[in-house]
Amino acid sequence: MTASAETGPVETPALSLPRPGPGVLKKTAYTALIVALCVVPFALVLVISMGEKIEGAGWQWALTLENYQRFFVGAEPEAPTYLYLQRLWYSFYYAIIAAILAVATAFPFTYLMTRQSRRIQTVWLVFLLSSVSLSEVFVVMGWDILLSNRSGLPMVFKETGLTAWLKDVGWFQTLRDWGLANPRNVRFKPTEFATVLTMSYLVWPYAVILLYPALARLDNATLEAARTMGAGPLTVVRTVVIPSVRLPLVGAVLLLFVFLLGAYVAITVFAHPSRHTLAVSVYEAVRGATLNAPFGAAQAVILLVTAALFLGAAALLARIGDRRAA
Amino acid sequence: MAGLVLQQIQKRFGRFTAVEPTDLSFRDGELTALLGPSGCGKTTLLRMIAGLETQTSGRILLGDEDISDRSAHQRKFGMVFQSFALFPHLSVLGNVGYALKIAGVAKAARETKARELLDLVQLSAFTERRIGELSGGQRQRVAIARALAQEPSVFLLDEPMSALDAKLREEMQVELRLLQQRLGITTIVVTHDQREAMTMADQIVVMSAGRVEQIGPPQEIYNHPANAFVASFIGRANFLSGTVQAGRVEVAGGVLAPEPAANFRDGSPVTIAIRPEKIWVEADAPETNRLDARVTFVRDVGATRDIHVETPAGPMIIEYAIGENANTYRVGDEMQVHLPPGALHVFPASERIAA
Repeated sequence: MTASAETGPVETPALSLPRPGPGVLKKTAYTALIVALCVVPFALVLVISMGEKIEGAGWQWALTLENYQRFFVGAEPEAPTYLYLQRLWYSFYYAIIAAILAVATAFPFTYLMTRQSRRIQTVWLVFLLSSVSLSEVFVVMGWDILLSNRSGLPMVFKETGLTAWLKDVGWFQTLRDWGLANPRNVRFKPTEFATVLTMSYLVWPYAVILLYPALARLDNATLEAARTMGAGPLTVVRTVVIPSVRLPLVGAVLLLFVFLLGAYVAITVFAHPSRHTLAVSVYEAVRGATLNAPFGAAQAVILLVTAALFLGAAALLARIGDRRAA
Repeated sequence: MAGLVLQQIQKRFGRFTAVEPTDLSFRDGELTALLGPSGCGKTTLLRMIAGLETQTSGRILLGDEDISDRSAHQRKFGMVFQSFALFPHLSVLGNVGYALKIAGVAKAARETKARELLDLVQLSAFTERRIGELSGGQRQRVAIARALAQEPSVFLLDEPMSALDAKLREEMQVELRLLQQRLGITTIVVTHDQREAMTMADQIVVMSAGRVEQIGPPQEIYNHPANAFVASFIGRANFLSGTVQAGRVEVAGGVLAPEPAANFRDGSPVTIAIRPEKIWVEADAPETNRLDARVTFVRDVGATRDIHVETPAGPMIIEYAIGENANTYRVGDEMQVHLPPGALHVFPASERIAA
């Protein structure tokens, strides 16, 4: 791309040989950028995933599928274990619940926000955008303190007599059944509840920001038209607002879901070690205790491919749904 | 169905008064046009009738019932919006059947009704189309059918023609009027287009600056404007300044005798309004009420000719049908114009004229 790009501005190309037009140059530059930023790193991970660990040392290049085999059936296929498949399941489980929870709670908030004056909307958006600058570590630390058994909410429950009251009315047993209490008091660590709660809190501002454009663009007259046809406020939301922003809603869930597949800190702090996700296990393999980069890479590839399949299926369903609605 | 009555209805936004206390009645089965320049409060008035805006004070009665405190979804007045406000996620049939669907009408029944209405607005071939696949005129028909599906007691339209091009607008005005007469539904149309109001309405309410200026049938408003604003806003008018002297008006270059005589104290400053098509230019015009005039500009506008003249009392436009007058006037020609006494409308000079 250099030679022709540097020849400078507007010269009559009268008799020169045909040169690549600016369109071709742009395309080449884009392709190079995509190859450098996306394809090369992914190819590297893919190649490493077929390497071999050297016991007591690092790893070496190889072309084996052993790491993938280990992922699906364990190190010894004769006695199969499904530990990593389970971790893959937990990755999806936490991410999808947290993403749906975040979007489901952000939707009414954002809808009501877009009905306010411009000024109030701006204040909210600035506040939410600034909260996005908080890192995962910071947010998790906050929730860690808030939910910790000795100093957080459980202590508040105990000291205010709420725990005793729960025991009196018999609801304490229900909390125990759900794993949210030990024999003495409520507890939130480690629980799935705390994990999902923190994860959805983490992405909540993103959910608002993703839904905001669609809801702000919503034609107010269509909502008023529905009202003049007998629709009360909730019916308006159900029959006009939600169908109008159906695609942004699904899109927001998918985007946050993919984002949350990589959640690390929240899982290590709040989830029980037997219910850790693939992200945690990849980190352990690459940088942590087990130091097995090829196996970590294999797990990462599987996580990526599964997520891609998942998104592809969602896109297909959305298209079918759209065609059916049409 | 029953008539609609507004009693001392008023709307204020903070310190700004959008609609001054207003009394209006809309007779059963009639079409009323709320006409006025933008910002005159006509849309606010319509939105208060629909229940989309809460009145600051006053009452709204539908028949004998006070509906002032009912919300829009309880009043269920069908409304056509300026932007049509169709639901993009529903088909044409889905849009028209919407009101019936949320009212819990069974699918078969509401589809039959929706198809009937689409037939009425000549869109029966478009039931399965998406809104994005329709032209402006088709969208308007869908909006009308949708608003009528719930068989509303009052039918409201907010600038329904403003999104259409000129030719389609004329067609739709006639079509909408015929449809309204066929259904006999009490209808209120907001418009800033006096031609539209004249075409469709049984009754026109002329508004400006939050106030009602005149209420009456189209011809009465055109021929007997209540004030200078109405005279200037409805159709074209020439305005001359003068002072009253014994029931006649002295203007620069002559004395004009209106009929009936100007009922003002002698010496009062007044404005005279006269429609361009009422002015005579023939030589055999009566000798009275004449002014000298010099032609400054002539233009043919289709079937009519406009002659711009300069008189001692100021510039005037004269309009006559081509063929009605054999003379051809050229720029610079000197002549006399006759202003018939019955066509002169005399207003206090202090009254505003529409911009």
